[in-house]
Amino acid sequence: MDAILEGLKLVAATDVLIALLVSAVYGLIIGAIPGLTATMATALLVPITFYLSPLAAITTIVTASAMAIFSGDIPGCLLRIPGTPASAAYTDEAYALTKKGQAELALGASLWFSALGGIFGTIALMIIAPVLADFALSFSTFEYFWLSFLGLMCATLVARSSPVKAVASALIGLLIACIGMENPGGTPRFTFGVTDLLGGVDVIPALVGVFAVSEVMRAMAGPPAAKIGHKSLGSILAGQLELTKKYWRQMTRGNVVGTLVGVLPGAGADMAAWVCYAISKRFSKTPEKFGTGYPEGLVESGAANNAALAGAWVPALIFGIPGDTITAIAIGVLYMKGLNPGPTLFTEKASSMYAIYVIFMLANILMIPLGIIMIRITTKVLNAPQSAVMPLILLCCAVGAFAVGNNLFAVVIVAAFGIIGYVMEANGFPVAAMVLGIIMGSMVEQSLVTSLIKSDGGIMPFFDRPISAVLAVMAITALLWPLFFWLIKRVRQATARATA
Amino acid sequence: MTRLTRRTFSFGAVAAAGGLALRSASAQGNYPSRPITMICPWGAGGGTDATARIVAALLEKEMGQPVNVVNRTGGSGVVGHAAISMAQPDGYTLGIITVEISMMHWQGLTPLTPRSYTPLALMNEDPPGIQVKADSPYKTVKDLADAIKAAPVGKFKCSGTGQGGIWHLALVGWMTAMGLKPDQVAWVPSNGAAPAMQDLAAGGLDLTTCSIPEARAIIEAGKARSLAIMAPKRNPQFPDVPTLKEAMGIDYSTGAWRGFAGPPKLPQPVAEKLTASLKKVYDSKEYKDFMSGRGYGTIWADAAGFASFMDKGDKQMGEAMKAAGLAKA
Amino acid sequence: MQFSDRINGGFLVVLGVLAAYGGSLLPPVPGQPVGPNIFPIVIGVGLTICGLLIAFGIGHNFEAEEKIEPTADGSAVATRSMWWIIVPPLLLLFYVFAVEWLGFVLTSAIIAFITSMSLRGTLKIAIAMAIASPLVVHLVFAKLLRVPLPAGLLPLPW
Repeated sequence: MDAILEGLKLVAATDVLIALLVSAVYGLIIGAIPGLTATMATALLVPITFYLSPLAAITTIVTASAMAIFSGDIPGCLLRIPGTPASAAYTDEAYALTKKGQAELALGASLWFSALGGIFGTIALMIIAPVLADFALSFSTFEYFWLSFLGLMCATLVARSSPVKAVASALIGLLIACIGMENPGGTPRFTFGVTDLLGGVDVIPALVGVFAVSEVMRAMAGPPAAKIGHKSLGSILAGQLELTKKYWRQMTRGNVVGTLVGVLPGAGADMAAWVCYAISKRFSKTPEKFGTGYPEGLVESGAANNAALAGAWVPALIFGIPGDTITAIAIGVLYMKGLNPGPTLFTEKASSMYAIYVIFMLANILMIPLGIIMIRITTKVLNAPQSAVMPLILLCCAVGAFAVGNNLFAVVIVAAFGIIGYVMEANGFPVAAMVLGIIMGSMVEQSLVTSLIKSDGGIMPFFDRPISAVLAVMAITALLWPLFFWLIKRVRQATARATA
Repeated sequence: MTRLTRRTFSFGAVAAAGGLALRSASAQGNYPSRPITMICPWGAGGGTDATARIVAALLEKEMGQPVNVVNRTGGSGVVGHAAISMAQPDGYTLGIITVEISMMHWQGLTPLTPRSYTPLALMNEDPPGIQVKADSPYKTVKDLADAIKAAPVGKFKCSGTGQGGIWHLALVGWMTAMGLKPDQVAWVPSNGAAPAMQDLAAGGLDLTTCSIPEARAIIEAGKARSLAIMAPKRNPQFPDVPTLKEAMGIDYSTGAWRGFAGPPKLPQPVAEKLTASLKKVYDSKEYKDFMSGRGYGTIWADAAGFASFMDKGDKQMGEAMKAAGLAKA
Repeated sequence: MQFSDRINGGFLVVLGVLAAYGGSLLPPVPGQPVGPNIFPIVIGVGLTICGLLIAFGIGHNFEAEEKIEPTADGSAVATRSMWWIIVPPLLLLFYVFAVEWLGFVLTSAIIAFITSMSLRGTLKIAIAMAIASPLVVHLVFAKLLRVPLPAGLLPLPW
């Protein structure tokens, strides 16, 4: 109890509160700019945290990343340019709502369920962190293989295009993930002698290219944009209580699955959003409405990605194992500030731990008022002419990609993926599935190959371990289900034709 | 119009060139007279980034000019290392270089070698440890080594980094030092020390050879144990972990190091001034506290010492990589 | 840029074969049963199968019919010449090659101006964007976030 009070006192310090507010605004802005992601928001904070007190430093990371994950939904919703890979899963859905004139409803849902998801994840972190941590540590590469396989399967579920084209897109993504020397052989693969490709194609420039640049390209080729009007709601949150009541099951499921996926190192918020959107569609009573501007999937995946963000801190704080790229950076900052991750953080530095929990809570609560202001401001973009919005987007794409590693080659990647994204989109290949492939590629391959090395080429260990067996059954069912479904449909059609 | 622009441009070019000449002239005298850029070839938040930033902050106090750390990532470290080597040799662009510089050229990934730089100071080295799962039957490194010797080739699985990474070579070096085949223990490539430690705790591996600081959190959580370190002496942060020599009489040591360097042909006075300032940084309490807080090892070598250290390490790495079949002939 | 599914499928088959072939050329890892070659081969085979399925129109009936969106006046979409789409990627490449030399402010002003004009912007908007956007972006990235944007020929006074 003393530790909790001590923690509250730590948070009440002026520098911490200023850090909270400033990094909240910063995170909201960075996340909302197309081409800049939550990961980048955190990476760019590192040099600044150097001059802050330990708690203020952690505050900036926690707050900025939570805000950026939410506000990554904003450009996705308004311009069909997702701000973060996590938003890519449901960008089409949100944009469809915008086209119906319901941008504020979509963004309100995003905000409300993000905040609730973040709070749920934090509570899980506070109460059952050790249990969750043990859960995370029970995952060996065999489990990861099935998990990443399931994650990839989501590509076919999420897309509205032909499943064959969705699979092809995901495979192209996996092929892109093959580039570089971060492979099981440690040898350059598909780098064609280009030094810059040795490190592989980073997902951020690829995401920026296929969504943002190809959107600018479409604007160039297309007819003058028709104005998308938007209804300004009296209160952004008014509709949300109704949605919460209607979809509380989906929300809870999103929270739980999001936290669990987030806890698993390497999976993170990106995968959580995809998995939950897919689950939502699979178990929905009206799956055919998904993708046409229907809030059900938004509720679940929006709830999931912020819950996952909190979940990712579990292995980071207890074992120093990063759950995602954001916590990987955060761990560095923790060490730099003498708050070494590990169980001692919970015993010797308990007050700091409680202070971090309080910051999580405050950040997610603060998200609501600041988010509302942000939504009010950004929806004005819908009224601005393309010729004023697109130049800024293109510049942000260039600078944002460059800023990740201060490497101009990333801008070349952005340009290339702009073309790839444009061509794929024009031919009915879902680009989001390709992004998922790039995200999951290294995990699928690494877990498959290392598992095979460990089992000396045997298949049985993939099914031996209990969690692995469960995941295997789920994956195989998910794989065979569409085939089964398709056969039934075929048979029915045939009988219908026969009787007609 | 064209002529005018061209003339304006050439005037600008002349002015710029003149300014440059002025700058380099003054560079010799009262160096440093403007901010210094320190290139870090690895991403923000990592161990190299942290080391670069603490040194930059302390160097700033010593030199009286801002020292800005710039992360130049890409190409698995090649891009940033190349940027340091190709910078203007005026002392205003330095960088932190890491052990990979003595490894990558053997694989034919880059023409850069430790000799592509003006070495300034070696400031950190972390030796590999040997970790097993907490409930592993092997209580000492000797138990483990005996079991490895008795087992068929490839029975034991070890990880810690990617194929051909520093901890892989440490394993190869250890095996050869024991008179075993380089692949007596199978190497399972991973995306770094953290996933490898996780897999160890999940029961997927027999041992890891990453450094103890990287394994620390999991060891402290009671999920893994460290049996030995491949270093000449024990780490004061982990005094209970014996060295290989103490535990089994094998005199083998290696490590991942970080040092500071500039481009080749750095003017002598500038290099000397930098090394002197880095020495003061190294001796400062802040640096020592920071490094021991993370469990990082500190080691000092001046320009000449760093050069011969790298030469020796480069040769050792070449041998290990050839033994492991990783080097391009 | 819209091709028939024959061409799409054919392209995927070529890509798949190349991936599998390229993968099979990779050296095996000494002492390991599987190496870096296995994954590209699997993907290559998968892409080839997908390509064949698409080329022969299997699974096409799953595809949701793309609705052609009517413009404001209800007429069919009147698109411009396809060549316009190449402008944004070219501008990005221009950034890559010019920024070190011209500096961030000039390069981005040119990019903003061309983008705005290509999108049927009025001269007024284009000039406003060319002046405002480099300054805003520079302020946020170079000043607040310490991203090293090159000064080039026109460094900013701050």
